[in-house]
Formats: sequence, structure tokens, C-alpha cells
Amino acid sequence: MASHFEIELEKLKNIIEKIGVLAENQVKESVKALLSEPVSEGKEVKKVENKIDKLDVKIDEICQSIFALQQPVASDLRFIMSAMQISNEIERIGDLAISIIKKSKNIKDKHDLIVKFNIADLARQVEIVTIKTNECFLTRSENTIGEIFILNNTIKNDCDDAIHNIINEMKSNSKTVVSGTNLVIVLKHLERISEHCTNIAEYVYFMINAKIIKHEKFGEKKSDN
Amino acid sequence: MKDIKIHVNDLSLYYGEKKALKEISMQIPANKVTALIGPSGCGKSTFLRCINRMNDLIPDVKITGEMLVEGVDIYDKNVDVVNIRKKIGMVFQKSNPFPKSIYENIAYGPKINGIKNKTELDEIVETSLRKAAIWDEIKDRLDDSALGLSGGQQQRLCIARTLAVSPDIILMDEPASALDPISTSKIEELVHELKEQYTIIIVTHNMQQAARTSDYTAFFYLGELIEMGKTNAIFTKPEQKQTEDYITGRFG
Repeated sequence: MASHFEIELEKLKNIIEKIGVLAENQVKESVKALLSEPVSEGKEVKKVENKIDKLDVKIDEICQSIFALQQPVASDLRFIMSAMQISNEIERIGDLAISIIKKSKNIKDKHDLIVKFNIADLARQVEIVTIKTNECFLTRSENTIGEIFILNNTIKNDCDDAIHNIINEMKSNSKTVVSGTNLVIVLKHLERISEHCTNIAEYVYFMINAKIIKHEKFGEKKSDN
Repeated sequence: MKDIKIHVNDLSLYYGEKKALKEISMQIPANKVTALIGPSGCGKSTFLRCINRMNDLIPDVKITGEMLVEGVDIYDKNVDVVNIRKKIGMVFQKSNPFPKSIYENIAYGPKINGIKNKTELDEIVETSLRKAAIWDEIKDRLDDSALGLSGGQQQRLCIARTLAVSPDIILMDEPASALDPISTSKIEELVHELKEQYTIIIVTHNMQQAARTSDYTAFFYLGELIEMGKTNAIFTKPEQKQTEDYITGRFG
């Protein structure tokens, strides 16, 4: 029979899984909003955002109570420390997705720029990285963690290139300045989402191996896997 | 590890036919606190009592292997057990003051060791009580019976009594398990201060106490030493699965 403590840990794991899936859907919605005309008014998206916020607080409360009452050690301690950080990262991913949805509305002529600079591919990569992030938390697969690090690196480079190109476009054609600027902000948000996913992967790595790898350079991280 | 105070090599202990300690090898660092943890019957108290040859008092006990304290095997035939116990003090789970005055409890050991000068004894009594963080509480009633003190005070008095004969090593067997949280934290704080001058080995069932007070932790199970390491490492990333299972409460 599972102990009271194990039930608490399982509960925590389930909530993180849930909040992770919600954020993943928000990212999907934001990519949709960016690549095609926004379908709805965004009421549903707002509702989900509130849900994410509530779960984020709930996770903090559960962790606080476990720390106070159970004094976790070793792998339990690492799991709870990671849980708090991961929920924080997920909540931010949700916020960024909302912000992308809002900004997307302001990108006039956006399709031209998006097609011209192949933004769709980049956005889909970000979608994939969020899916893989949820997967790595559940499966604790080190392979998936490695894939996330590699994907994040690609996304980062692609974002830099795209932003560079958009700026050049704005220089030569002043009509694109408004939508171009908004698109640059959206790209930065996408890049941040991928970065938060990488952070989550790092916490999962810490959970498994008791080794803190955040702030390490990509090459060091990769060779470590 | 830095200076090693005690080298234990392949130490086994038998109670008659039963092998209670199985080839224990470990190194206990000087001026550090080493905690021994493990479930009841795992041999941690038996091991602690090997360090000052307390098991000599139990019939049918056979010990093999070496217990080197500062390089000297304390189980060597030529070693005087009284001298060993002078150097290695012990504090027990239940405080056991003599039914004498507070002053006499502390002065007893030094007197047996031949110190007769009143001024010198006074000084030892005061220093020992101060070191045991109890002087301020009882300095005005040194002639009162020690049995009138509270449990926590009695335990600190026993620690002071141990310190009075200037040991090098202090063994503590569940020293705070019968005390309330305030007395417990006083004892733990004391352990922390005493390690500057003494090598301390503490047996405890309270995992948090081991984590709070010790520099090194050794985990015993079924008479074996499963793992010993820095306390910080044992409680964050133990190397053995059995240790992990025990400290996270998933044993058996």
C-alpha cells in the first residue's frame, strides 16, 4: 500500500502533468494564431490561463506542505525542488503563449513576412519542443532531454537569423516596420518558450541524476548526456 | 577526509553464534561529528560500544578485526581498558547522573584521576559545565542533588561529566531521544560546538537529527556498513539504493 507521503508525491506529479498539457495547448493555440487568422475571441485561451495560474499556486502549496511536514530527502527532495521550478517555468510558457496570441493580431501583412522568412517551420519546432518537454517529465528519458537541448539550439539560431532578416526587410521597406516589429517580439517569445522548456529538461535531469546542469554551455551539456 | 581519528578494519562481532557486526571497515575523522543511522537491530549501537570496549561487559561476545584509535588497536592484549575509557567518554540515551550533588557529579572523575586541589576541581567543574552549556542555569545550586534537574539538564550534566575527564572522543547513544524539542536543540547545538575539540560519534534514530548535527553519516543494515559519506551527500544523493530507501522511509 502506498504511504500517505507517496500519495502526495503522486498527486504533485499528476498536477504537473496536467499544467504541462494545458501550457502545451496554449502554445499550440498561439502558433495557430500566428500562422492563421485567430479563430475565436480568445475567451477559451483566457480561461486556460487562469487554470494554469491556479494550478501553479496549488503546486507551491503542496510543495510547501511537503517540506514542512515530511522533510523530504534524496530523490524525493530533488523531485519536489524540481516540481516548484518546473511549475514556475510552465506558468511562464503559458504567459508567453498568451502574449503571442495578442501580438499576432497586430501583425498586418504578417503572412508575407511569415512565408518569406519561413517562420512557420520555426513555430512548429517550438510546438515540438513543448511536447517533448512534457514527455521528458513523464518518462524521465535522458534521450528526450538531449533532443530538447539540440532543438533549443536550432530554434535559437533560426530565431536569430529570422530577426536579422526581418530587420533588413524593415530597413528597405518602411511599410513593414509595424508588423515586422511585432513579429520580432513574437519570435523572441517563441525563443523564450523554448528556453523555458530547456530549463524544465534541466530540472528533470537534476531529478534523475542529482547533478545541476543549468548555466552550463550547450556543448558541455551535450557531452554529458 | 582529513585527519582520521579511528581506523576500523574488518571488525566483526559475535554474540555467541550470532554475527552482529560483519566485517566493518571505516575511518572516523577527527574533530567531526559522525552519525550512525540504521533500523533497530542493525548493529549501530553495538558498533558504538565497540569503540570504548563496552561490549567487554557482555558475556559470549567475540570480536575480530581491528579498532585503531590514534593508531593503537584498543583490542590489543597490552592495552589498559581503563585508559581507553578515560579517553573515550560516553553519553547514553537515558541520562544517568550519580545520586550526588551537581558538583560531585562533575568532580567525581577528576577526583578518581587523583586531582585533589579544591581550586583545580572548582575550575574543572565550572569549565565542564560551561562547555556543556548548562553553567548559567545551575551555577547557584551546585550543591543541590543532580536528580532534581530536568531531563534535558541532566543529559547536559552527563555530557559535562564526560568532558570533566578530558576525553578525546565522545560517544553518544541516542542522547536526545528522551528529550523535548527545546532540550534536543540545546544538545544538538552543543554537539556542534564540542566538535571543535572532540571527535563525536552519535547514534540516532532521528534522521533529521543526523542530518542537522553530523558531518559524516554511516548507514548500517543487518550488521553491515552499507554506506558512509559526507552527510550532505548521503541526504541528497546516496550511492546505495538501500540507503536511499531507508532515508526516504521506503524500507522493506
